[in-house]
Amino acid sequence: MKQYVIYSVTLGATWCFLHGAINLPNFLIGLVLGLLVIRPFKELYDIDKQTSYRNIIFRIPKLVRYFSMLIVEIIKASIVVAKIVLQPKIDIHPGIIAVPVRTTKDLSITAIANTITLTPGTLTIDVSNDRSALYIHSIDVSDPKELRDSIRDDLEEYVLEAFE
Amino acid sequence: MISELFYIVLVFMVLSMIPCVYRVIVGPTIPDRVVALDAMTTVIVVTLGVYSFVQESIFFLDVALVLSIISFIGTVTISKYLDEGTVF
Amino acid sequence: MSTLTTAIDAISMFFFLIGIAFVFLGMIGLLRLPDVYNRLHATTKIGTVGAFSVMIGIVLKVGLSAMGLKAITVGLFLLLTAPIAAHMIARAAHRHGVGLCDESIMDDYGKTYK
Repeated sequence: MKQYVIYSVTLGATWCFLHGAINLPNFLIGLVLGLLVIRPFKELYDIDKQTSYRNIIFRIPKLVRYFSMLIVEIIKASIVVAKIVLQPKIDIHPGIIAVPVRTTKDLSITAIANTITLTPGTLTIDVSNDRSALYIHSIDVSDPKELRDSIRDDLEEYVLEAFE
Repeated sequence: MISELFYIVLVFMVLSMIPCVYRVIVGPTIPDRVVALDAMTTVIVVTLGVYSFVQESIFFLDVALVLSIISFIGTVTISKYLDEGTVF
Repeated sequence: MSTLTTAIDAISMFFFLIGIAFVFLGMIGLLRLPDVYNRLHATTKIGTVGAFSVMIGIVLKVGLSAMGLKAITVGLFLLLTAPIAAHMIARAAHRHGVGLCDESIMDDYGKTYK
């Protein structure tokens, strides 16, 4: 039941944004439509999972920290790639490396993969079958160990804090 | 004066669509063409955003939203087809 | 009051120009980089950031009206779906048999799955 409430509040906010006016009637319409949308796609959501509202509210500061880190990293990433594109002769050493991850939860792996794709010079390609490693294409793999260390220490910490 | 500047911006966006068209036509492999089509949609969405701001009309932004959704679904579908040979 | 409006106008113009420049650079990257994976780097990162930046410019200019809200929605949607699309294309390309370019150093994925 709690899951229904959380998802339909999110869908109601989405409806407000799509409609183009934030007010109470719009939000209520979105809430009702959200319930109707969740119903047929029940298998996609973790309806039975138990969460407490306290947990979600306490997580907000960590989420804010994660997103501010993400914005800084995205801007850095664009500047790095733009510099590479503007070189008169392109001199890069790309390659695919395996990077171990410490979690097996779906949401955390998705968040880590998307964060890696948006950060400088790296692009997630696949998760290994036993979910212990991510395959990452990087524009510069001249030092694989340093790349693994930077991903583990900088990105994974924030994501695990925010989503576990 | 501002609106003339925005028309120059629109010309710039059309210019940045030329590499995408080149990749779609020449691109050595099929994934290259998919990437180029995806990038082309991004350019078109940006163009529509700027144009709707110049014209002060909201409808182009609706078009941009629908176009980005369709482009995402199309990209995922073509990738799945390349990967497994079937879509569903 | 009018200085504030001028400042906001200037900031939104700055975001507009940054966004347009980034989109243009991303498309040049699509033209110049050697293989699919590197081209994906260019279009996903720079293209998406450029689009998001243009949308922020629109929001700053028109405020939180209907147009601003829709611009935020388009920007967030692009930012959310670009990594997923990139991951799908990269995986499909690798399984389809598109090799890495000659400058590449290592390929852990190919070792595991071939």
